[in-house]
Amino acid sequence: MLEWFKNKKGKGPEPPYTNEQWLELLSKPANERAVGELRRLLIRGLKPALHKYVDRELDQFVEDVAQDGLIKILDNLDTFRGESKFMTWAMKIAVREGLTELRRKRWQNISIEDLKGGPEGDESKEIFSETFASADISPEQATAQKMAVEKIEDMIDEILTNRQREAMKAILIHNMPISIVAKQMDTNRNNMYKLLYDARKKLKNELEVQGIDPEKLLDELSE
Amino acid sequence: MKLTIDIIKKMLRVVLATRDDEINCDECYQRIESFAEIKLSGKSAEEAMPLVEDHLQRCKDCREEYEVLLEALQAIKK
Repeated sequence: MLEWFKNKKGKGPEPPYTNEQWLELLSKPANERAVGELRRLLIRGLKPALHKYVDRELDQFVEDVAQDGLIKILDNLDTFRGESKFMTWAMKIAVREGLTELRRKRWQNISIEDLKGGPEGDESKEIFSETFASADISPEQATAQKMAVEKIEDMIDEILTNRQREAMKAILIHNMPISIVAKQMDTNRNNMYKLLYDARKKLKNELEVQGIDPEKLLDELSE
Repeated sequence: MKLTIDIIKKMLRVVLATRDDEINCDECYQRIESFAEIKLSGKSAEEAMPLVEDHLQRCKDCREEYEVLLEALQAIKK
């Protein structure tokens, strides 16, 4: 990576650059001024955008993210398709770098395993057991709700795989980022999305098979 | 950990919103810069790219990245 910066070329057009100029100036050997301009713009954008996510040392964090983003951008120049402004594309890469790091730090001490409750091997029953806290509904409504919830719980237990249940629990119940869950489950974000999509499809189909109208059920549960 | 009615309702909503033509996170990532630029131009990105909008509504990670991107782009426009 250092060779990008070893081959310095200071001369060239003045910013702001067109897409074509960015690509030309950042291609090896990269133009020093263009690299500096890219870093400057990344920092200028990231700092206010990440402000609310970073508790302390925002400047240092943003500098680091900009540097990591810069390297990734330079490494992936050939994937820029020109469908947007270059800086929009570049900022997208840096933003993902920043948020990935923030998510990693925030969730580094929490594993999906920690989210499990109940006895070994029986976590699904524990996880999907119901809690009724409302005292504002009639006994008949409470019974109807209880039955509806049990039906959904049974469905989840019966038709979803363990991985689908684990992923749904982590993401929907514990609000874990999909990227973190994917990493912990040894897959990638895209495959994790597919896993959840398949789970949702299965549940949707099963509701249909059982003649349950999910909208009606939602209304009943909201009463 | 117990499943509450609120969680059941949350699950039902995501199940109910499931559609056949959803795009995944990679597809969203590939299109998000165009989506953001349409938004920044003052036009309706939701209408222009409904599948991206749909994905952003159901994927918290992608939504968060989009919102940060938008804010960063607004900052460098100033």
